[in-house]
Amino acid sequence: MVFPIPHDTTPILEVTDLQVELVTADRVVRAVDGVSFRIGRGETVTIIGESGSGKSTTAMGVLQLLPEDLAVLSGSVKVGGVDLLVDRDAARRIRGRMVSLIPQDPMTALSPVHSVGKQLTGAIRLAGHPRSAARARAVELLEAVRIPRPAEQLDKYPHQLSGGMLQRVLIAIALAGHPVLLVADEPTSALDVTVQAGILDLMLELQERTGIGILMITHDLGVARLVSDRIHVMKDGRFVESGEAEQVVDAPHEEYTKRLLAAVPQLGTFEEVPA
Amino acid sequence: MATYLAKRVGQSVLTLFLTITTVFVLLRLAPGDPAAAYAGPNPTTEDLERIRAQFGLDDSILVQYGTFLKGLVTGDLGTSFSFQAPALDVVLERLPYTITLALSAILVTAVVAIPLGVWMARRADTAKEFGANLLTITGQSMPDFWSGIMLLTVFAVVLPVFPASGFTSWGGLVLPTITIAILQIALISRMVRREMTTNMAAPYLTVARSRGVAERALTWRYAMSNSAIPVLTALGTRFAAMLNGVVVVEVVFAWPGVGSLVVRALETRDYPLIQATVLVTAALTVLVQLLVDLAYPLLDPRVRLAKTSKKTAPAVAAPEGALA
Amino acid sequence: MTTTLSPEPTATGARPSAVTPADLKRAGARRRERSARVKLWVGGVCTLLVVAPVLLAGVLPLPGPDEQDLAQRRLPPFTDGHLFGTDQLGRDLLSRVLHGGQTSLMIGLLAVVVSGLIGIALGAAAGFFGGWVDAVVSRLLEAQLSLPLLLMLLLVVALFGPSIPVITGVIAIAQWPEVARLTRSLVLVERGKPYVAAATVLGLRRITVLTRHVVPNVLSQATLVVLLLLAQAVLLESALSYLGAGPERPFATWGRIISDGQDYITTSWWLVTLPGLFIVLLVVGVNLLGDGLRDRTRRPRGLLRRILSRRPQEA
Repeated sequence: MVFPIPHDTTPILEVTDLQVELVTADRVVRAVDGVSFRIGRGETVTIIGESGSGKSTTAMGVLQLLPEDLAVLSGSVKVGGVDLLVDRDAARRIRGRMVSLIPQDPMTALSPVHSVGKQLTGAIRLAGHPRSAARARAVELLEAVRIPRPAEQLDKYPHQLSGGMLQRVLIAIALAGHPVLLVADEPTSALDVTVQAGILDLMLELQERTGIGILMITHDLGVARLVSDRIHVMKDGRFVESGEAEQVVDAPHEEYTKRLLAAVPQLGTFEEVPA
Repeated sequence: MATYLAKRVGQSVLTLFLTITTVFVLLRLAPGDPAAAYAGPNPTTEDLERIRAQFGLDDSILVQYGTFLKGLVTGDLGTSFSFQAPALDVVLERLPYTITLALSAILVTAVVAIPLGVWMARRADTAKEFGANLLTITGQSMPDFWSGIMLLTVFAVVLPVFPASGFTSWGGLVLPTITIAILQIALISRMVRREMTTNMAAPYLTVARSRGVAERALTWRYAMSNSAIPVLTALGTRFAAMLNGVVVVEVVFAWPGVGSLVVRALETRDYPLIQATVLVTAALTVLVQLLVDLAYPLLDPRVRLAKTSKKTAPAVAAPEGALA
Repeated sequence: MTTTLSPEPTATGARPSAVTPADLKRAGARRRERSARVKLWVGGVCTLLVVAPVLLAGVLPLPGPDEQDLAQRRLPPFTDGHLFGTDQLGRDLLSRVLHGGQTSLMIGLLAVVVSGLIGIALGAAAGFFGGWVDAVVSRLLEAQLSLPLLLMLLLVVALFGPSIPVITGVIAIAQWPEVARLTRSLVLVERGKPYVAAATVLGLRRITVLTRHVVPNVLSQATLVVLLLLAQAVLLESALSYLGAGPERPFATWGRIISDGQDYITTSWWLVTLPGLFIVLLVVGVNLLGDGLRDRTRRPRGLLRRILSRRPQEA
């Protein structure tokens, strides 16, 4: 089972003036240009933007997963009060234990030559469980993410499972180390529409049960509206609008947000959006 | 699996048959009279005719081919003109030397090239790696006969550490092995480096890193096992190719293997011997290649479990720019 | 948290960059760019050092490559105006190497052109049409892997004689699979692109689509291997001529010069060493050029590509 997070008042994640610059062969590209946001316990904060807006780079920057010889980070990224940009080893300590990643494309996110069970028990053992208990815990985690016949699935290889199942496995792996924050980098964009809802549903349910914080990266307004407490609209590396989910979606202030909304085919409610 | 095996073996046999037939036809088209080569200086016309009759060289090509095929089935590949012995025996006698050399070269290659490639991948784009890169490029740019002669001169003539030629002791294996390995190490280590850097940039590795897997385990357990399959296949294929005779190196070092045998057989137009050599070495090559192919599924679960796979087609994702 | 955070009011570039010169120096992209540049320069210099004198062999003030002078046999380098010394028949080694080099280079270039044409044609057909065309080409590629290649090449040379066209053809036969395999996989990728479907829907014949649209698009990538093939062709030609299956007219090529000098290695080191170094210098140069060009055209992938493709700022 996933344990609830102990109560305290500091935000789980506090990002201040994060700037990410990517050094290419002929220039320096500012992918993220001074963004600030915070996530408390049980909160879901969404960064929404177009392709290339810098939203995934922000997520990877938070986890310190950008290649060191490519990205230069500045500002501050505090997880549980520790600034990962000051204490460079801290990222290695917190990854998997306090912060976990749910990746974009589940099909390529697991090593193809290792079985699902091997990769899951590996994560479980990293969280400090003894080898003897790892398999039982793996079955437990797969049950928690609603995978049918979990014991059977452990011996399968990634290519034998569907995208939706793989994403569930990846969520189970992400939960293995009892994290307090999930960074979900477009967790449903590679999945079928019917499967997407199930995955989002699962994440919300887990959040309800454990109080885990979620940083959601998406380009899908529907997803953002469904899961978020707060939404930041990102464009060209900056937040152009931030606020409560309803407010951003229903009464956007910024021209760019309005255009974003206008570009989405509306189903159900009809809203006249001034262009 | 059984049908795959049967199909694959059938393919191998067909390849073999076409190879040996091609060689047979080419030999018969080639100018030069084997009888003259066999008879020695100043043969009389009677001598030549007698020799032709003795080896069946006066029959038509079709008849000769029929005799050859009949011999193939019974394991009789004819009598070598120059050795005056069954051609097959002559080849089989030389074969262990070629196998020894090929084995030794491929082992040295694997032992050096794999760690070297991993080292280069881990230090990708540094000055040290650039240096190693230049070395491997030089290694693959040296003609093997030249590097062989150079090694021979330095380590067998100037400093007599190793025997100069032939196989008189195990020390004789060292220089030809190094000569072959220089090129192979260059090629394989660059391949290992390429595979490793690709895998170290793969999404699954970033995801593994995100769950706290240590860098050492990322390199050795994840990137390595994913790079292993193509690298091992390449090593197997190179080994198979070497069984065709490492012709040039065998000639340089007067190594008593099939490579130097075949050059001599070509010079003397020893048809049965050429045919026997091609048949035996091509058969070995095809066999090793077959084993490599059959071992592939053991290494790669994606191939091994292909039949039980129920993978759904990748879902069509909402295009990224849909919002714009 | 009900108030809206106002978006960053600063103008572009107002926030100072945190990138230090040290960051720039150790950045992977910069390092790759630097090493590609070094490779191109070094490769270019090595290649020129060999190619320029070879091309100018007829103009340079050298003795003829076949001028024997038995009084001046096996002179070491730098004696009596013989930069590379003389061989066992008193011929100027440098002159022999340069004149032989013309033949070696010509064979290499011709072989690359021929194997490139065959490889691109067959590889493109196999990748584009699939079906039995692909099956036949793929079988051929596989079969060639298990053939005793060098032996077959020697056999063909023995059959048709060591003339330049024969040797060129033989090397091209040895090399076409590499081009074919690459072209086939490039075309396979290209075939899936929308413009191919669009062209087909427009009613263009498949062969027209292939030759007018698909092949031009893969050509630039396929030709990247040309330099690497040239390097291999030069090595293969020298191996053949070392084994006595190289051209002897008009002049002996490098492999033959080395094989002739081998008997005198203990007393006259230069007869083998210098022609060999000449080959190594050329092949290293060509390989470096090929490597450098390939590194340079490698495009950024994944995250970086998406960021770089970001639209220009709207005012």
